[in-house]
Amino acid sequence: MRQLYFRAVCALLCVLSAYAVIAQQQTQPTIHSKLTGIVLDAASRQPLAGAVVKIKGTTHAVTTDNEGKFNFVTGQAFPYTLVIDYIGYQHQEIVVNSSPAEVLVKENAGQLNDIIVTGYSTQERKYIAGSITSVSGDAIRDVPAAGFNQLLQGKATGVQVMANSGVPGSGITFRIRGNNSINASVDPLYIIDGVFVSNADPVQTSVGNQQPSNPIADINPNDIESIQILKDANATAIYGSLGANGVVIVTTRRGKRNTHARIGLSTYQGWSTAINKFKVATGPQTALLSNEAKINTAVDNGRDPSTATGLIANPDSLPTYNRTDDLFRTARTQNYDLSAQGGTENSTYYVSFGYLKQESVVKPTNYDRYTARLNYDNNLTTRLKVGTSINITRSQRNLSSNDNNPQGVINSALFPRSYLPVYNADGTYARYGSFDNHIALINNLDNDAVGWRTIGNVFAEYNILPGLKLRSSWSLDNSSEYENNYSNTLISAGIATSGSASSYETKNTVYTNEQVLSFVKSFGSSKQHNINALIGNTLNSVISQGTSATGTGFATNSLKAISAAATRSGSSFSSTSKLVSFFGKAGYTYADKYTVDVSIRADASSKFGKNKQWGYFPSGGLAWRAGQEDFIKSLHIFNDLKFRGSIGLSGNQNGIGPYAALGLWASGANYLEQAGTAPSQLANPDLTWETTRQLDLGTEFTILKNRLTISFDYYNKYTYDLLLNVPVPYRSGFASYLQNYGAVRNKGYEVGAHSTNIDTKDFKWTTDFNISWNKNKIEKLASDIVQGASGRNISILRQGYAVNSFYLYKQLYVDKQTGNAVYADLQKDNQITSADRQIVGNALPVYSGGLTNNLSYKNFDLNFFFYFQEGNKIMNMNDFFMVHGGTQANIGFLPRQLDRWQKPGDVTDIPRLTTYSGNPTQNGGAANNYGGNVANLSSRYLQDGSFLRLKTITLGYNLPNALIQRLKLNRARLYVQATNLLTFTKYDGLDPEVSSQSNNQNTAGYDWATVPQPRTVQVGLSVTF
Amino acid sequence: MITKHIILLLFAGIAIQAVSCKKYLDEKPNNLISTGDAIVDAGTARAAITGAYDRVQGYYASSYPTLGVMPADNVIFNGTLNEYLQLDQNAVPTDNVITVAAYQGIYRAINSANSVIAAVPGVTDPLLSAAEKDKITGEAYFIRALGYFDLARGWGGVQLQLKPTVDIAGLKGVKRSTLDATYDQVLADLNQAEQLLPEDATTRNRAQKSTARALRARLHLYRKQWADAEADASLVIANTKYALVQPYKTFFTAPFLSTESVLELTYSVNDKNSYWNLWYPSSAGGQYTLKPSDALVAKLNNPQTGGTRNALIAGSGTGVYGVLYNTTASSVDPSYLIRIAELYLIRAEARAQQNKITEAVADLNVIRARAGLAATTATSQADVLLAIEEENSLEFAFEAHRWFDLTRTGRAGAVLGVTNSDYWLFPIPNSDILSDPDVTQNHGY
Repeated sequence: MRQLYFRAVCALLCVLSAYAVIAQQQTQPTIHSKLTGIVLDAASRQPLAGAVVKIKGTTHAVTTDNEGKFNFVTGQAFPYTLVIDYIGYQHQEIVVNSSPAEVLVKENAGQLNDIIVTGYSTQERKYIAGSITSVSGDAIRDVPAAGFNQLLQGKATGVQVMANSGVPGSGITFRIRGNNSINASVDPLYIIDGVFVSNADPVQTSVGNQQPSNPIADINPNDIESIQILKDANATAIYGSLGANGVVIVTTRRGKRNTHARIGLSTYQGWSTAINKFKVATGPQTALLSNEAKINTAVDNGRDPSTATGLIANPDSLPTYNRTDDLFRTARTQNYDLSAQGGTENSTYYVSFGYLKQESVVKPTNYDRYTARLNYDNNLTTRLKVGTSINITRSQRNLSSNDNNPQGVINSALFPRSYLPVYNADGTYARYGSFDNHIALINNLDNDAVGWRTIGNVFAEYNILPGLKLRSSWSLDNSSEYENNYSNTLISAGIATSGSASSYETKNTVYTNEQVLSFVKSFGSSKQHNINALIGNTLNSVISQGTSATGTGFATNSLKAISAAATRSGSSFSSTSKLVSFFGKAGYTYADKYTVDVSIRADASSKFGKNKQWGYFPSGGLAWRAGQEDFIKSLHIFNDLKFRGSIGLSGNQNGIGPYAALGLWASGANYLEQAGTAPSQLANPDLTWETTRQLDLGTEFTILKNRLTISFDYYNKYTYDLLLNVPVPYRSGFASYLQNYGAVRNKGYEVGAHSTNIDTKDFKWTTDFNISWNKNKIEKLASDIVQGASGRNISILRQGYAVNSFYLYKQLYVDKQTGNAVYADLQKDNQITSADRQIVGNALPVYSGGLTNNLSYKNFDLNFFFYFQEGNKIMNMNDFFMVHGGTQANIGFLPRQLDRWQKPGDVTDIPRLTTYSGNPTQNGGAANNYGGNVANLSSRYLQDGSFLRLKTITLGYNLPNALIQRLKLNRARLYVQATNLLTFTKYDGLDPEVSSQSNNQNTAGYDWATVPQPRTVQVGLSVTF
Repeated sequence: MITKHIILLLFAGIAIQAVSCKKYLDEKPNNLISTGDAIVDAGTARAAITGAYDRVQGYYASSYPTLGVMPADNVIFNGTLNEYLQLDQNAVPTDNVITVAAYQGIYRAINSANSVIAAVPGVTDPLLSAAEKDKITGEAYFIRALGYFDLARGWGGVQLQLKPTVDIAGLKGVKRSTLDATYDQVLADLNQAEQLLPEDATTRNRAQKSTARALRARLHLYRKQWADAEADASLVIANTKYALVQPYKTFFTAPFLSTESVLELTYSVNDKNSYWNLWYPSSAGGQYTLKPSDALVAKLNNPQTGGTRNALIAGSGTGVYGVLYNTTASSVDPSYLIRIAELYLIRAEARAQQNKITEAVADLNVIRARAGLAATTATSQADVLLAIEEENSLEFAFEAHRWFDLTRTGRAGAVLGVTNSDYWLFPIPNSDILSDPDVTQNHGY
């Protein structure tokens, strides 16, 4: 492998030196003057590397070096006019009389002039044909959530973000323009300072089908300078097989040359509480309902009500034990950041250290994280620059299982019947049915997960010629997670075994090597021709390894190490996948008006079948800056106006196993302590890329004297040859077969607006608004795929419908006379069978968006941010279990059960209580109220999950200059902030921002004993010296 | 000049890269073997038959015994998981998790067995003697017979897969066979197995000649071939390797593999069976999803009917739970497939059906005596058959018997109230209905 790296690099270096040799053979002039000079940013006096300097009226142009310096040896005599062009800066002309010359250039104003980091290059927004959203690092700072990806919620068009639960540092749902895939990954590619970052959850401990961690939370949001979200084919095709789900490019802060050291210190302290808490039926209510169910059942069985057995005597005299309030606490959050940045003549640095500690509002979980970063660049010579970005993170989680785990903390408090005491008479923990004791869990859970993450990159950049640059970069993302869990004899998991312990060490390593040769050149009489081109290659290896050990049988609860266990066993796994890529991209802009952009990437993956290892992903885009045309200018409406369109292909191979194409027998099928093997996977030598074809049409314009910028995008993404686990007949001995079959379409609209409402010296007010519609549809599928909720199969994938659809019996009404539920009878055969189950809703919102307002008056600033989404449904599993009509002998009731039908004439959606089981196919029969064929899989537990939320509101105060100077500070700001202060929703669970079965992307939208989003109030201070 | 060299070098570089690319992308797993290398020598042949037993464990550890008890009257639903409630209520949808898991698990075992049957006889390895080849192949025939038998009594006549699956295309065109044809296949495989298998005095957790005969006795019983059932049962009972144990609970007490056992699947701390977890209350670390019914508890506690079989339950009041699977600390309970007690009851029933009442009663009383009960008072053929049915119910209260006994005798309607005989068979998994054009659903689903 190493050899191959050398060869690849050699090959590219060869090409470059060839250029260099050719270039050196071209000198020849008559000299009239020599000019040296420097180009600086007018505001910061930073040297600008790569600016094009030309003598007006000639074709002679040079490019500034890394120190911003240039020199001419020219046939022209002084004085003459220099023309300076630099992306993101205004066109500048100055007259020079002598050498040396200093040129100051001013930055362009207006969003269309922003510099955008695109795949392997930077470009001005006005020239970009692709759809890219930029978010400044400032927009996501100081919010009490660990992952920057979570903080992008409502900040960017086309991006849908949801926290799956309120557990700090836990998994989130992040989709760019919808779910592209069914069995392969739907998460975007994250690139941080050029490093392809692993987004694989390293935590092995299972937490009730939730994603235990958000791997992106290992990045400190405070280190981030800017984030670019690449959405369309033109922007993502350069990432080929990794780009189909969109790309998130993060640039971290770097120092600037010739600046003094600036030290920043910031902290915030937060206090979080639950917005709503669980409420359950009281002891007497529970007994009343339980008795009513038994009596009704006796009647349904044709017996006298007095023959009902198992009635609870004197319901009214029963006590109520409030368990659910024990779960919650006021949770603390503390965050500290310390950073230093600056630069000398030749080098720049940014060093930071961060610490975050966050408690969950539901005991006993917490999360803490230490991060350290060093970004360093050095211009070794005027042509050669080397640099590095290194991030080291230590995270620690105290995991607790909730959601789909009957022995989880919330489940053990929520589900047991409220008249049952928490403790036995002898003072020991009482347990009922399948549930553990919640106090026992809170006091004894001991699941510790410590992660170490190193994301590092070293690079060298060599300016071969003005405009021609070679960059080689070597990157590593190394994460390890070390988990130690101990279940002692006071909790259910450890009772039977006299204590049980498990330990996992998991490593994910991603190595990436890249070479990029880029070329930027302007030519023509007035620089009307601009070329921006690059070629490159990537070698990428992903290695995933782990070792685990378990032990049971401990002498005492104070011995927790596996070495102390009576019985021990171990396991391990290891897998490697590799990717080889070559890519190229070229853009041409004419007269600042017309841009053509093409790119292609060729990828080969070790995961795929020998016959079809290579995939090719081309794209093309056009941009037209109509605002530069005279006929538009003459309208005097638009300050700028741009139209763009693109089409292309990108691929996806993430989320499938590294050996998915091979026919395999699995080991570990042991019997009688002998090693056994058994068939585990059918071979598919034709397995290949899942491909997304995307069309994007967009426009961006600025009106009202640059005060209002609006962008609009339409896209249509068609993903075909899905990597699909196609179900096969079980008689084959297999359940499914991974093949390229099926198609999914996502199409939608995105609107973004940035408005400067008021801009005076003292009072400033800006508004940002974005809204995105996405419509997902499965266009082709072999057969329905049902899954979710432990075999209840509430989620379905069906051709013609969106992913994440809910598959239930649709309750039409509760019969006023009988009190029995009546369901839609699709077959019209007067029977309720599984053929009458139907799609009754979807977990995907129709649209989502955000509204941000920033106001400042003198030293005060106020920011408030709303997030909204509309049209998604939530399957309330708490209702499913706790509005059970008596069928669950060990589970209590929610107050909603009290609305049940009791007597003829009652109008309600909660049917009569009964556990009768005769005639399970009768529609409107008692059996199907809660049991029978319907088995409680009724649409009555599916609710509207739309909400509007005041996500954050912040009031800040900048200390006055006089005071700051006296304190020898640069800047100081104090603020108070509230998160999730107001929520408007019809959903009657604890919180509508929830997805409890998130470890499977196709089972979104469940609420199941999940930790809710907290409401947080915090105060913060940030100071720079 | 230099440029020329460089260009040459460049082309050489690209050429080398193109070659090494293939190598670079060639990745192989370290805990899986490719299908082509799966059965090629003595070691892999042994591993493959071991894997086939593991697949039988896969469906017998929990799902199949649950299907044998939950739809009947001895065990009731006491948990939160609907799939158990559905079985208890005899309202089994086509995607019921337990029936799907069992159906899928059985065919996985069959595919393993088919692979062995297809490949092992052709293996040439001096380390693999002809005798061992026969043993391995015989075991595979037995496992396939067991699989089809378990399918037939749960789902009726099924699709007969007799070749290992190598690709999807080869699956086409196999329709469901009749119940008789499925049972014929079972019989053919058992006869093969009987021929090929060895017999020793100690093995109880792998198939032997007697194991094949015992299953054949049961097969004949299900097919109402009374004389054959009696003959096969007698063959096994006559083998001195097997004897009823005293007291009753000995057979389910560690170290297991008692003389009672004709076939049990052994588990270990490295190969756990956590079925106890579904039976024990959470105060003992379990989930308590399966609970002995009040009626069963009463019968087991009655010294006239239960006798020493009351050792099957523990706890009191509303908290009674089953303890047949009881190794809560180590999770090593065997799966009990065939006990010698069953052979006595098979012979009793076969004899009673042939009107050999005295002999039938004698066999029945052997089982009653072991449980510490007096001889049966039944004398008429009908009463004796009823007494055998009841004895089966208590003797195998938590093993995969009761439901299958009541459906094979047609008594599920009278005893359980499941009068719609469509529900005496489980539904074919919905996923198969969707993915397999050759399959048809059982009537009524």
